[in-house]
Amino acid sequence: MKAEEYISSGILEAYVLDQLSNQERVEVEQMMNEHSEIRKEVDVIEQSIEHLAVATSKEVPVELKETLKRNSTSSEISQAIEPVPIYLKYAVAASVLIAITASILAFDYWNKWQVTKSRLAELVARNYQYAENLNQVNQELLDAQNSVAIMSSSDFVHVPMNGTDNSPSSFATVYWNESSTKVYLSVQEMEDLSPDQQYQLWAIIDGKPVDAGVFDSTDPSLLIEMKNVSSKPAAFAVTIEPKGGSQNPTLETMQVLGNV
Amino acid sequence: MIMSYLVENYSAAIYGVIFRIVNNESVAQELLQDSFMRFWEKIDQYDTKKGRLFTWMLNIARNLSIDRLRSREMKKGEKTDDLSNYVSDIEATNISQINVDAIGIKEVLKNLREEERFVLDMAFFKGYTQSEIAEEFEIPLGTVKTRFRMALKHMRSFLKE
Repeated sequence: MKAEEYISSGILEAYVLDQLSNQERVEVEQMMNEHSEIRKEVDVIEQSIEHLAVATSKEVPVELKETLKRNSTSSEISQAIEPVPIYLKYAVAASVLIAITASILAFDYWNKWQVTKSRLAELVARNYQYAENLNQVNQELLDAQNSVAIMSSSDFVHVPMNGTDNSPSSFATVYWNESSTKVYLSVQEMEDLSPDQQYQLWAIIDGKPVDAGVFDSTDPSLLIEMKNVSSKPAAFAVTIEPKGGSQNPTLETMQVLGNV
Repeated sequence: MIMSYLVENYSAAIYGVIFRIVNNESVAQELLQDSFMRFWEKIDQYDTKKGRLFTWMLNIARNLSIDRLRSREMKKGEKTDDLSNYVSDIEATNISQINVDAIGIKEVLKNLREEERFVLDMAFFKGYTQSEIAEEFEIPLGTVKTRFRMALKHMRSFLKE
């Protein structure tokens, strides 16, 4: 398909980094208008770049921040206008008057233009924020809908995991789909971990623990997608492991356990 | 008001990128000021249909910084009368630079493959176009494009947690 080829050609990355000629840029913008999947991909690339930039932020000194804010408003500060020298001859006075009238008018227009400009800018930014918020809400709604669909689907085996003696109040549920082998996890109650630790889910298959992926205690998702589990497990269990997970479970840290 | 919002939310991210391009704190601060002036001058030209506000701001800042970097490097080149120094200089230092000037970036980039990291660094922080990278470092253009795409893709999946 044409759009897919276009996406994988690398031109969109160059577009986002502003590395295209005018002609190419116009072409990309046209393609974006015609194909929603291209627009979407551009947005994804932009988000990656934004993430990269945010992750590599450098603190701006406070005084500099203040200067940045001040500079943007300095252009709006009005300037005093010289009074008309009345001792000049009429002719000179007249021409000075005309000049001053003109500059007052110009100044007035300039002022209005500045006000309009800042209003427009504000609206643009507000509009942008609304669009961002809407996007986010849509995404969250979509996630929630997907989660509910999985939780209520009969294709998924529900495996409630109760807290062990280590943590009797903990509780989580695994949703396992035998035919697609997909595994989702819903955390109802688990303790917070230190930042260098993660929870790790294990599927017990033929008496052996098989890694089914790690997750954070802070993950806010309704459902967390874990690693696929292809053969039927006898049970699922969660242990506490160093960040990134372990090859073999640290059994004495087992938090919850549930039989399939 | 809008400017305060932009300063509060975006200046640190933009400053980080500028600093990594020019690698000099006072030059970076000057460029950050120039960039915000430029945003203010041009904000009525920003078009939501063409992309995100942050991308627009970032590109203004990057372009100013890259122009500055190149004019500086050009001057250096004229002094020593040897322009080829410039390229090999960058070539020799860029990998170690990633590790040295890194604060958050180290975390972000360490998960990428060496060759992906290289292309991302050259394209994003050094201002090379994809075809310039291909030419300078004798990598096929298609490979450069793929690596850049993959770098962004991988980075995105790491940053998503």
